[in-house]
Amino acid sequence: MTAPLQQVEDSSLVERIMAGDENALAALYDRYAGMLFAMLVRILRDASAAEEVLQDLFLQLWRGASRFDASRGSMAAWLLVIGRNRALSRLRGKARHEILADSEEFSIEAVPSPGNLENDAARAQLMQRLQGAMAALPSEQREAVELAYFEGMTQTEIAARVGCPLGTVKSRVRAAMQTLKQVFDDESTRQPGRL
Amino acid sequence: MNRHVNPEDSDLYALGALDGTEMQELEAHVRSCAECARAVDEARQRVALLALAAPAVAPPARVKEALLRQVRAERVPEVHRSGAAKVERGPRFLWLTPVFGVAAVIFAALAAGIWMKDARDNRRIHELEGQLAVVETRSLEIARAADETDRLLGMPGTAKVALEPMPGMPAGRVGVLYNAKMGMVTYAGWLPAAPPKKSYQLWLVPMKGDPVSLRVFSRGEWTEPETMHVPPGMAAKAFAVTEEPEGGMPAPTGPKLLVGGVSQGE
Repeated sequence: MTAPLQQVEDSSLVERIMAGDENALAALYDRYAGMLFAMLVRILRDASAAEEVLQDLFLQLWRGASRFDASRGSMAAWLLVIGRNRALSRLRGKARHEILADSEEFSIEAVPSPGNLENDAARAQLMQRLQGAMAALPSEQREAVELAYFEGMTQTEIAARVGCPLGTVKSRVRAAMQTLKQVFDDESTRQPGRL
Repeated sequence: MNRHVNPEDSDLYALGALDGTEMQELEAHVRSCAECARAVDEARQRVALLALAAPAVAPPARVKEALLRQVRAERVPEVHRSGAAKVERGPRFLWLTPVFGVAAVIFAALAAGIWMKDARDNRRIHELEGQLAVVETRSLEIARAADETDRLLGMPGTAKVALEPMPGMPAGRVGVLYNAKMGMVTYAGWLPAAPPKKSYQLWLVPMKGDPVSLRVFSRGEWTEPETMHVPPGMAAKAFAVTEEPEGGMPAPTGPKLLVGGVSQGE
């Protein structure tokens, strides 16, 4: 009996996409579109633009699925990295062809797997832990990380935005990243062999 | 930069927070150090996952529909290759050659007819499956939107806003439900067709900061309830529909078509 596509691993879905199976693309879309769309809306603050980037992203996957090496990469991380790059480029007013060229620079094979994000329950658990960790950060640390992640600001730009010395901002960002890194370290301990 | 990259700097680099010189030095070192390159790659995937700190938001069903339409349009027509039957002909059956020839022609014609019919049937079945998938997806989306609307209506702090036409502007009605704490907006209504080379764009106008685009409408259409998510905690002053260049704009530039103020305290 064939497993429902919702239960099929990313790597198998990618193989099916390479064979021209659009249902496999739809299954990957269903798996990851929610997390991607939330990030894109947050970065772009424009739902229409976020929809466009989301569609482009999966179209790129359809056209270039053969470049995905499941033994070396995570589909979730690839989609998030490329999606974030595209959204930030768009935010900076780059032309569409420049954005596509930028995101092509990031190799799908370069992203190691962060854990079993293909599984809905595991993904929900990691989301919950990250949300908890972000909420627990001191507000100035959270603000600094969010300005960097969602608005693509460097530490100098953040310092100018919040009106703090650069050294203070650096300390805040480093402290926040240390805390958040702990969440991922714990996650990799829970899922041995995946990181 | 000859020393190895500090793990903290890998994270900052992946976050995009390093400034010009720091970033250039790190990149120069990583190009010649496999160990640090791997550490930076790991940091990049780890940092990318920070997006998961935001609750997932289902995009509107039309995105998936448009994606699948584009995928079908790009699909290279499948080439059906049938292996040609190879007939072994020995000397004893040479007299049968003309008979085989005629039979082969008849067989080929029949096979071609059957193949063409099969191909047509397969294409039709594929089209119908695609249409069915779109209908199923849309039905689920409408049901989910109805559930979300009910949920939103039942939440304390949900504002109900009716957008009214501005004097002299084309008629249209849009209703909005907005809950700032949850960062949820549901809208439904009707808009006329936009003038040529123009679109209508729905905006959330916050108390502080720039308007947030919610939706671009190109054709005159009735919109079923759709839910969008915006950053939570954004107090809204009003919602508005403006006329913009085709495809919409990052910020409103054109005349207001519909406006609805949010009563404070809602």
